Amino acid sequence: MNALLDHARADGSAGLPLPRRGRVVTQLTEDNAMPDGGELARLILKIAAERDRQAFARLYQHFAPRVTAFLRKSGLPANTAEEIAQEAMLSVWRKASYFDPARAGAATWIFTIARNLRVDHLRRVRVATAAENAPPEEREVVPSSEAVLLATEQEARVRAALKALSDEQALVLRLSFFSDKAHSEIARELGLPLGTVKSRVRLALGRLRALLEGES
Amino acid sequence: MTIRHHATDETLMRYAAGQLPAGPAMVVATHLAGCPVCRARVAGFEAVGGALLEVTEPVPMAPDAFAAALRVIDAEETAPAIAPLTAAPPSLARRRVPGMLPGGIPLPEPLRACEIGPWRWIGFGVRASAVKLPHDPSARLTLLRVGPGRKLPEHGHFGTEFTQVLVGSFIDGYGRYLPGDLSEMDSQVEHQPVVDPDGECICLAALEGGMRLTGFLGRLIQPFVRL
Repeated sequence: MNALLDHARADGSAGLPLPRRGRVVTQLTEDNAMPDGGELARLILKIAAERDRQAFARLYQHFAPRVTAFLRKSGLPANTAEEIAQEAMLSVWRKASYFDPARAGAATWIFTIARNLRVDHLRRVRVATAAENAPPEEREVVPSSEAVLLATEQEARVRAALKALSDEQALVLRLSFFSDKAHSEIARELGLPLGTVKSRVRLALGRLRALLEGES
Repeated sequence: MTIRHHATDETLMRYAAGQLPAGPAMVVATHLAGCPVCRARVAGFEAVGGALLEVTEPVPMAPDAFAAALRVIDAEETAPAIAPLTAAPPSLARRRVPGMLPGGIPLPEPLRACEIGPWRWIGFGVRASAVKLPHDPSARLTLLRVGPGRKLPEHGHFGTEFTQVLVGSFIDGYGRYLPGDLSEMDSQVEHQPVVDPDGECICLAALEGGMRLTGFLGRLIQPFVRL
């Protein structure tokens, strides 16, 4: 995060040199306050509608370091993680018009982009997303602010639910996400009976699902 | 189509996390194509991924990373002829699959980019065809075509067997499986599927881990499924 700010400053705080006349200067803001989900979703919509570089800078600042960290946790070497995070952020810029805030929050959408790039990287095939590769339609209507709120609120609820999990439940959930091991292997590594791992996951997922399906 | 047998939460979560091996992931993708219930669950698990991303402690990027991103964007916008998204490799177009299963049944959407091998008779009413994923020839994925009333060899698994019914139906100790249903058999169980007598059954199957085949037919199949 600071690296970004440093860069902006090193550049004379005047943003980056841009080749074309009339383009708004892109600056990284000094405001480090954590943007909320609704704001992040609006930033993506702004990129889609106006190719807004300031919005991109803000999103980059928030997500690029998180995506990098996330990919490192999933077992990628540091430099590969950063390369894929960089590619993910470029995809956010290129595919912003496909973002449907009624279907997913900003973090969820960016997570799926990074996940797909990681899967591609690992096996050069987009198997994990074959079902979603149905041709996406370019959206024309601007989604209502209500729709933006819905997916964003769902994200916030999931986040709250994750915090409410017991340590053991959170651990098996994280292991399920960040490692490619089946639960039987996870059980072996933790020295737990498979049934215990399965029931912890089931409880964790049950809580999450109750939250996710409680409102729709 | 009412789907009775769904993917387990563990499987859907691993799929959403991008952690399921390519073969099982394709079986699950085929199930998802016809199952709105599981699609909604995957969307929920993707939201879990989003939430985990949000709470991940950030690590700093290289100092010039953002500037590099802007340079890429600039280059793309000044030269829009260079498409930023890579197209499918030409080899895909070369060997187009017919897109049909026996009986004129269209292949499920996710399978259409795959290379489907010829049906090979492996005995006792069972034919099989290897399915190759476009960029992952190592993935083990098989179409199985079993005659009416036929029994598959009794077998257990070291890992999990994922079987999506495409045509016809079979029954095992755990229920009857119709088109659209997904059977997940983990290492704890042994089962012996029997195809219903009114028609042949075509399934897409993948294994995570290995299979323990027992009996004569099992040993026949084993070399074929390369396990």
